Amino acid sequence: MLVFAASDKGGTGRSVTSANVAFRRALAGDDVAYVDFDFGSPTAAAVFDVPEAMGGVESGGLHTYLRGKAAEPVRVDVWAETEHEVLRDRPTGAGNLVLLPGDRSGGEFAVGKDVLRRCTDLFLRLNSEFDIVVVDLSAGRSFAMDMALEVTSLPELRGVGSRWLVYHRWTRQHVIAASGLVFGSRGILAGGVARGHDEEDLANRIRFVRAAVPDPEAAPWAMVPPAQSAWMRKCDQDLNELAAQRNVGYTRMLGSIPLEPVLQWREQLITDEDVLSSRVANMETLQALKDLAQALDDDEAWGPA
Amino acid sequence: MTAWGRAADPVLICGEVRTGLLQHSESLPARAVADLLRLRPDERVRISERPNGYAVSPEVLTGVDCRLPAAGGARTRVVGTVAARAVVTEGRMLQATASIVVAGPGPDVRHPWSHYLARPGVVEPLGKLPERAVADGLLAGRARPGELDLGAVAERLLARVARHRALDQRAPFKSRRTRLRWVALRALDGEGPSLDSFTLAEDGLRTVELRLPARVSPAAAAALCEDLALHDWLLTTLVRMVERSRLGSADAPEAVLSLRPAVDHLLHLWMPTAHVDRTLAPLWDVLEREPGFTRQWQTLVQRIRDQLALQAITLRRDALTAH
Repeated sequence: MLVFAASDKGGTGRSVTSANVAFRRALAGDDVAYVDFDFGSPTAAAVFDVPEAMGGVESGGLHTYLRGKAAEPVRVDVWAETEHEVLRDRPTGAGNLVLLPGDRSGGEFAVGKDVLRRCTDLFLRLNSEFDIVVVDLSAGRSFAMDMALEVTSLPELRGVGSRWLVYHRWTRQHVIAASGLVFGSRGILAGGVARGHDEEDLANRIRFVRAAVPDPEAAPWAMVPPAQSAWMRKCDQDLNELAAQRNVGYTRMLGSIPLEPVLQWREQLITDEDVLSSRVANMETLQALKDLAQALDDDEAWGPA
Repeated sequence: MTAWGRAADPVLICGEVRTGLLQHSESLPARAVADLLRLRPDERVRISERPNGYAVSPEVLTGVDCRLPAAGGARTRVVGTVAARAVVTEGRMLQATASIVVAGPGPDVRHPWSHYLARPGVVEPLGKLPERAVADGLLAGRARPGELDLGAVAERLLARVARHRALDQRAPFKSRRTRLRWVALRALDGEGPSLDSFTLAEDGLRTVELRLPARVSPAAAAALCEDLALHDWLLTTLVRMVERSRLGSADAPEAVLSLRPAVDHLLHLWMPTAHVDRTLAPLWDVLEREPGFTRQWQTLVQRIRDQLALQAITLRRDALTAH
């Protein structure tokens, strides 16, 4: 299954959350590929702690492949190449976890017919090999997003399942922006329909993920003076109303990741050790990531909203 | 069929095979396979049904003018065409091979293209050809920019077939492709064919070194290597499936069920040398002794069948006690 990770704005935790979801699925025994289509600023290697691919690879990455300068893009076996001390010991029963990095000086580029064909071949190949293929797209409307919409509309890919995750932070501006990215006149749905997707079918394959969501009832927010606490509860309630109005409400939400100090400080994978032994990360975060990972192919969470 | 005797003075044949599962929910019927492999309108797809379903596409040619990779950094420029073909076995396995016949010392200047086009699948060097260094260079690592990359040619052909609309892309299980790179030097006069090495390198790459008498055609060499690659893929894939299933662990019914795709789609594909030239078939015996391909395959298959039988007995007993 192809899982496209999109967001309207940067800083939504799209890459770091998607990487954590990929990591969770691999731990559960799936073969997972993480494709870094964030052509402007490839960050996935930093999250997976793979130094050679940091900020993209020197050459032979996805840009080189899509431009036709390499027959296959470079792959990084995360379990083998990571410097992360916990990840280096691949757990028994874990599936493959492979990163396909972009090129360091790649940038965005125009999508021609040849690029589309190569992207089609890439998606078909990865789908034949991996249970889950996470494709991390740049923030906002990008060439990568257009390419993803175009390729998934082709008859060659009709047998390949694809789903979209749209990340946003839990603020007014982010909720409005995420709604615009999906339902706006230049949004994913309109772009998809223009390329031959069925509107209803595509809408059923798009879900929102809230990231860095503060919980007014949990620490440290529950400790604040009553006036602040009341204000926060009101904000949360208003946001829920706004989200519902803008079609970003509960029925279209696949997951909600709590505000996590570890992720605020550093884009990284949250391991069980971070929660259970060193206790630097919160149990709620780990559980939310596990739930989101599981929801990817839970058919009850998808379909008509 | 290009015999390697057709080139001026052929020195070596080499190629790369890419092997993978055909991405379709069931095995593809012969007629659909023929459509899939019709890569050229002017030539037909060769199909045989005995002893198993087997189809070979017409050859497609790619013109090249580039350096050959060579150990020790020797620079040998060659000009000519790479021949590529796709093969489907039992409507289930897809392979693409790109290969060349390298002719002996050539002229110092390039001929007009018509010269090379008249020799499909042959490349001629400009000047001398250090054959041992080139053989080693071809078998080793990744091609550098400007060097001949047969793997890329095979990959492009495989991708072209794999995106055919007749395929529903719903294969019964996930699997990795493998790459097999091979080089055949000429056997000394009077000597028969020999398999000098078969190695498993990193990242799914296998390398094979052969010595073949002059009478063996490049197509026959390609068919032998495709056969090796096919069975190596089957073995690699089944080993991995059994490992993943955790057969023999506590949750036995689950493990056996997870192997169902192997029973449905793979176990009947094992048939070494089914389409290999009779004179080359003895090369398989080398691999049967060491590492013992069929022995390992049979052991795995037996293990799966034993577990299936045990599960069937357990289920039957449970059903009887339930009454």
